[in-house]
Amino acid sequence: MKRSAMVVLMMALVIPALFAALPAEAGQAPLKIGALYPITGSLALLGEESWRGAEIARQFRNQKGGVAGRQVEFLRADVPDVNAAKSEAERLISRESMKTLIGTYSSSLSLGASEVSARAGITYFELGGISDQITERGYKTIFRTCPKAQQFSKSQMAFSRDWIGAQLKKKPAELRVSLIHEDSAYGSSIARNLEAEAKAAGVPLTSVIPYDSKAIDLSSVILRLKNDKPDVVVAVSYANDAILIGRQAKELGLDIKAIIGTGGGHSLSGFAEALGPGSDGVFNVDFTQFEVNTKFTPGLTDFVAAYKKAFNGPPRSGHSLTNFMGANVLFDILEKTKGDQDAAKFRAAALAHEAKPGTSATGWGVKFAENGQNVLAETFLMQWQNKKLVTVWPEGPAVAKPTLTRPFSK
Amino acid sequence: MNELFLQVTVSGLLIGGVYALLSIGLTMIFGVVRIINFAHGELMMLAMYLTFWLHSSHGVDPYLSLLVVAPAMFVLGVAIQRLVVQPLLEAPALMKVFATVGLYIALQNLALMLFTADFRTIQTPYASASFRVGAISVSEPRLYAFLCAILMILVLWAFLKFTLVGKALRAVAENRTVSALMGIRVTRLYLLAFGMGSAITGVAGTLLLPFSYVFPTIGSIYTMVAFVVVVLGGMGNMLGAFFGGLFIGLVESFSGTYVSPAIKEAAYFVIFILVLLVRPQGLFGMGKGNEEVGLK
Repeated sequence: MKRSAMVVLMMALVIPALFAALPAEAGQAPLKIGALYPITGSLALLGEESWRGAEIARQFRNQKGGVAGRQVEFLRADVPDVNAAKSEAERLISRESMKTLIGTYSSSLSLGASEVSARAGITYFELGGISDQITERGYKTIFRTCPKAQQFSKSQMAFSRDWIGAQLKKKPAELRVSLIHEDSAYGSSIARNLEAEAKAAGVPLTSVIPYDSKAIDLSSVILRLKNDKPDVVVAVSYANDAILIGRQAKELGLDIKAIIGTGGGHSLSGFAEALGPGSDGVFNVDFTQFEVNTKFTPGLTDFVAAYKKAFNGPPRSGHSLTNFMGANVLFDILEKTKGDQDAAKFRAAALAHEAKPGTSATGWGVKFAENGQNVLAETFLMQWQNKKLVTVWPEGPAVAKPTLTRPFSK
Repeated sequence: MNELFLQVTVSGLLIGGVYALLSIGLTMIFGVVRIINFAHGELMMLAMYLTFWLHSSHGVDPYLSLLVVAPAMFVLGVAIQRLVVQPLLEAPALMKVFATVGLYIALQNLALMLFTADFRTIQTPYASASFRVGAISVSEPRLYAFLCAILMILVLWAFLKFTLVGKALRAVAENRTVSALMGIRVTRLYLLAFGMGSAITGVAGTLLLPFSYVFPTIGSIYTMVAFVVVVLGGMGNMLGAFFGGLFIGLVESFSGTYVSPAIKEAAYFVIFILVLLVRPQGLFGMGKGNEEVGLK
């Protein structure tokens, strides 16, 4: 009696365990990727927007059968600040044994998290952080699909010199350009680039004015600008400070010919909503946005439709699209490694992976340099016209012509 | 650069008026209830959301919405005092700190969940309207905010000076033990003080919204400003908070324009540390005669 009871008990324990072990066939297990985005805290708005893009790419891919026949899963971690970014990267790698991490929207978060992953020899695939440093620390396992900061400055100076200069009939050396930037890693790294690019373009910078993006009063920035009398203001701002500067420029009657934003706050629909017609004429250099020549950006229309369905509204900025594009590149590369996430194999496949400009949802091509930077990632110039951010320069992706309207005057 | 100098002064004073109002709300709670309210900025954030909501879904003008926001914030303040602070009155000071820090985190995350992290602004015809006096531009909503703040402060001052309840509040602020001995119902006045403190803070939030914006984590920025102002002016001192507010507004404006906008926060924190070193009771602090505030 007793013995047979034991046998039954043993069987009851062993048999389910055997069954549990059986379906663990390599091909069927989901492909897991760690995703680090700030979903709470002050970076939450665009962090969440970025995450949505990657998530839609994942859903699309899974509907089409996944990567190498396996469904893709994201293990999402919330990283509101640099400490969280480091510790969450640590956790995903050591406790969840992730072999690939994606992220991160904010450059400072990316620098922290990718440092951790690179030291562990894990692939870090950056989809949205633009600080030059990210791919310039000599690590072999860090890749970036989006343009780096330098690209933004290049476009801004080329546009100021060639187009605005021509409109104002001013030679590059006569053009007065002031730079205002928020003073975290994001703004400061762009500011350094801009100083270098301005020099290269032969346009002297009239003044450089850093400020704190969390400030609740920025009249001092406007007053300094009034004093310096620039033709063109290049601005590097997050969401709230971009709006605040616009409002206070209007209040204080700032008279400038043009302002060129650097992605971030100037690309948000909230910017135009808050400033109303005052946003008309504001330029912005950015990742690809939605008012763009769709022949140049195949896949964009499907993305927007899926986004609207999933989140009950149009995308709030191009950050989602950028992350969508980047996640797709990641899946394409993993397809080539047959889902193998080994860092060395991934690197070989990534360096061999190429796509021509005008073939992705952002219009960018793909070609990774030795340092992991996608050298075919580009930035375009847009302008707010009637509350729409339309692509105006260069001609390939443009859908409208640029106009010289005094910003914040209405 | 005389024009610039005048403009900088005007801009600094205008924002300083709102800082003053915000800080008076904090110093009221500080002075009477003897509690450091770390959730102060969050109260303001909630008031801003209420104003935003009244405007966006009911079309209520932000200045008119003061009639709803101030009473609502008063009730909320009383509720916080009754449910969170009062049970801890006899607890060690650190417990009180934990309680209000907890409240701050809870309110902030609740707001993130309910309102999402989006930045909200309201559109009014006068949002960026301004007029010129000579070469100086004066922003209309900022001027309204300044004037409302001054008016509030005057009313509050008269209330504390001339009414019996006001006198009782001042008595409790000065010495709660003796006040109780004189027959003042101290716990009831605590409820009143917390309620009034949050109502004043709510008014400051509403006044800010027409030219500013609100998002769930905005509170901590204002909490910091209010703390600096309150310590600068002397803890629990209304007049000190008023001049402290104006002073911080000016420091921000001048250091931002003449040195660099990036260091304006640094500038007032340096002054804050200097004040603590040289005159720890604050510029207007009453010193030894006053009951001590802080972690006691």
